Amino acid sequence: MKKLLMSSAATLALAVSAQAADVKVGSVGGITGPIAEIVADVYEGRNLAAKHVNEQGGMFAGDTLVMVPGDGACDPKAAVDAATKVVNVDQVVAIVGASCSGETNAMVQAVTIPAGVVNVSDSATAPSITDLADNDLVFRIAPSDAYQGYALADYVLKSGVTKVALTYSNDDYNAGLGKVFEKAFQEKGGTITSAQVHEPNKASYRAEVQTLSGGEPEALVLFAYYGSSGISITRNALETGSFTKFFGADGMINEETIKQIGAENLQDAAYTTPGADDTTASYTAYAALASAGGLRNAFGPYVPNGYDATFLMALAIEKAGAPDRTKIAAALREVANAPGEVILPGEWEKAKALIAAGTDINYQGVSGEIEFDAKGDVSGVYTLNTVTPEGTFKTVLLK
Amino acid sequence: MDGYALYVVGLLTAGGIYAILALALNLQWGFTGLFNAGIAGFFAVGAYVSVILTAPESPTIIGGYGLPLVVGCGAAMIASGLVAWGIGRVCIRLRSDYLAIATIGIAEILRLVFKNESWATNGPRGIAGIPKAFEWVPYPWNQVAFLGMVLATVLVIYLALETAWRSPWGRVMTAIRDSEAAAKASGKDVERFRLESFILGAAIMGLGGAYFAQYLKYFGPETSDPTSVTFLVWVMLIMGGSGNNRGAVLGALLLWAIWSATELLTSMLPPDWAVRSAYLRIFLIGLVLQVVLQRYSKGILPETRPAVVGTSTRAGATTGNAT
Amino acid sequence: MWELFNFYLIPGIVLGCIYALGALGISLTFGILRFSNFAHGEMMMLGAYFTFTIVGLTGWHPLAAALPAMVLCAIVALGLDRAFFKPFRQAPTIMLVIASFGLMLMIRSAVQFFWGVSPRPLMPGIQRPQAFLDGALLIAPKHIWIIGTTLLVMLAVHLLLTRTRTGKAMRAVSDSPELARLTGIDVEAVIRATWVVGAVTAVAAGVMLAMDTQVETLMGFKMLLPMFAAAILGGIGRPFGAVAGGLVIGVVEEMSAYPFIGTVPLLNPAYKSGIAFGIMVLMLIWRPSGLFKGRVF
Repeated sequence: MKKLLMSSAATLALAVSAQAADVKVGSVGGITGPIAEIVADVYEGRNLAAKHVNEQGGMFAGDTLVMVPGDGACDPKAAVDAATKVVNVDQVVAIVGASCSGETNAMVQAVTIPAGVVNVSDSATAPSITDLADNDLVFRIAPSDAYQGYALADYVLKSGVTKVALTYSNDDYNAGLGKVFEKAFQEKGGTITSAQVHEPNKASYRAEVQTLSGGEPEALVLFAYYGSSGISITRNALETGSFTKFFGADGMINEETIKQIGAENLQDAAYTTPGADDTTASYTAYAALASAGGLRNAFGPYVPNGYDATFLMALAIEKAGAPDRTKIAAALREVANAPGEVILPGEWEKAKALIAAGTDINYQGVSGEIEFDAKGDVSGVYTLNTVTPEGTFKTVLLK
Repeated sequence: MDGYALYVVGLLTAGGIYAILALALNLQWGFTGLFNAGIAGFFAVGAYVSVILTAPESPTIIGGYGLPLVVGCGAAMIASGLVAWGIGRVCIRLRSDYLAIATIGIAEILRLVFKNESWATNGPRGIAGIPKAFEWVPYPWNQVAFLGMVLATVLVIYLALETAWRSPWGRVMTAIRDSEAAAKASGKDVERFRLESFILGAAIMGLGGAYFAQYLKYFGPETSDPTSVTFLVWVMLIMGGSGNNRGAVLGALLLWAIWSATELLTSMLPPDWAVRSAYLRIFLIGLVLQVVLQRYSKGILPETRPAVVGTSTRAGATTGNAT
Repeated sequence: MWELFNFYLIPGIVLGCIYALGALGISLTFGILRFSNFAHGEMMMLGAYFTFTIVGLTGWHPLAAALPAMVLCAIVALGLDRAFFKPFRQAPTIMLVIASFGLMLMIRSAVQFFWGVSPRPLMPGIQRPQAFLDGALLIAPKHIWIIGTTLLVMLAVHLLLTRTRTGKAMRAVSDSPELARLTGIDVEAVIRATWVVGAVTAVAAGVMLAMDTQVETLMGFKMLLPMFAAAILGGIGRPFGAVAGGLVIGVVEEMSAYPFIGTVPLLNPAYKSGIAFGIMVLMLIWRPSGLFKGRVF
């Protein structure tokens, strides 16, 4: 056993370079966990990016980019197990993922940082990830949710609403967002008539929304995932007549929300999301590609981020010149950050040619411009999504 | 096969911690017949207590005293034992199914407390940066050293339980399990014995929680969800062989290997199947479980009765089925 | 006064009806097969998916579509019993519990595989409550349907258990399987009948839940523990105790959010899932046989 290990450590580097036709990237996420419906869409985004890479010449001299799935189930135990497999058995060059903050936190600390593998998470938003001692291996393109809470608070006040009731789901994403919003809204002079945490996955929230409607709030600010409690609370609030005006964030943005509640009932709803607005070139490019690729939910929560994370990772590996784990981190910053020739989603062939020519490139994502800071975080731009009478989301830039 | 060796290290580490939990459950269920369905609760108490004592200071949680890991593990065992004592005082007289329901309920309430009292536990955000034993050893030997610690612990608990199993104490336990009335009639304080077994088992579960927190270097409310802790450990024990300590260890390692390694199969499917292959894997796990259960309806290593002390000291180690 | 009634008590009763229907099946299975069926929630979910698909194909009202779904689920339940539960008839009941756990994983992942994981609406749009008694009483039409159907299903189960040969045999087996076997009751037939009734009530519960919320793959699992609590609360093996238990838990869960003191909910809604367990644990300590004198093991 020990001898086996000794040889394992020695040949680790060899094994990485020994891979011929496949460039493997781990694709870890909460496929079977509590937000399975969101993660399924995110994987479509990731796979679409890999498809674009492979259709336009692949990696290096025609190698195939292979996304090796790992089911982290939004459970730290499963995430560590999944990451151990993709890092050691599949010998991936780098990892895209994981989905939930706890999942990502455990995965990077227990597996990828010790093994020296870079990961880019497309949806982990917890502030604690920023400050990990990560040897510059942990990146994410989901902005820490502190910014979004402020952006939404600003917007609510600007739209003339000063008294709101607040409820947020008790999970790692929405609870953080809810607390930031509560603080920001009050700092900026708004009144919160009542703030409630709710447990997701209950069958009825009628009593809660009725109690929230006390104190005459003008609107309900709701942070939740659409599948686990967001739709239920919106429905219950409308049905009991407690609220007709809603504010929220990206967890709600899914066509299912409109389909279930009805567009006519959501004319007074507005949801923020980190990402480019529909006037940017990145947005237009991605929208066309996603619709051609048959994505069910191209702008669902973190779907653009999934695309960006994968595309960016492929660019970084190409930039590194070899599937070498140690070179990815530096290459990531080079391809993501300004300055450089702008690369839009889907422009793999162009990017590949520029990298080959030694030109510096700068990927402009759909989820934002993606400029990594020293801690591997991005600061996002935010867009506002409203529901059109025809039952689609309309996206405009905030600020 | 280098990468596979490192994967096996990871597999055995998690499987070993599950073996600790399965041994603890075997003490409660296999020996004494206590239907504890609240494993996740004791697991979480142990994990949070050890983390609060050993983690570095942080504004997001209480404690953060940076104490040595041994202190954390000891405190985890004591805390879980104390919680078990409190629960046991009230619930231990309940018969098996009712004890199961009571413990499952209490474990869920504990999980809600850990999830909601953010001032102490950072709530759903969880605690990152948990110190882990042997981190100073260079990679990958630190992982191997940690595995060594886990396996040594499994061995110690196994030997201790085997000794207890053959002692008069152990025989009283099985007597209570098989016929409480008879045990009572022969003058045994049944409730005290049951309580002792319950507390001891819970303390070991607390240690399992502390180890898992170290291994993951992160702990949050989702880490102790009932499916992947309580129910999984039950499946491990029943599959391996309830009432047999080796069965408990074997069941834990085997089921964890099935749980984990099935993904190696399903991840070979085309990438467009990434999502569906994960569902397929869970289906496979369920199916393999059913097959094993039907093939070994008493567990893979069924219970063997230790002989009465004096007739043969090695009798407990034989594999003959005395029941 | 009417606010408490309309916005807290009625939703509580609706929720309680769903719990009650689910707990009814759990309690019956427990009484006759003597194990806690972890796959019961998944049967609810499967029934809701069948109903959803039938509604999509035919455009029927969900309650009408639920009838063929019940037949399908009953067939599935009988098949699963034959394949996964029958081998353990003589084994310790813990084997059945573990087998049902494995089955829970299998059913859920099969549905996720074939239908996907996106939540789907069974009744899209929203239904505002209609006013009765000069506007004092507010209740949504679908809630009248849910309460009415629950009463109907319960009445049917009651008649089955008290008026039919099969039902009487079921009660006999529940009271004492050995005695029942000695008196010539075909225990296997009783077990099959139990699976059919269990599946039918599970589909009813799943469809009610889906009408009030949505169809999704975790819907049954989310309800499982509160339904167990309801079955225990009413007394194990006492079907109507389970119904009462479900109603108590549903009503207390919703009432707990009423601002009895000041303007904040009486109990922080984050602890809502704890209510069922809190009631259950207190009940076990105070009166282990449940509200309706169930079996004490």
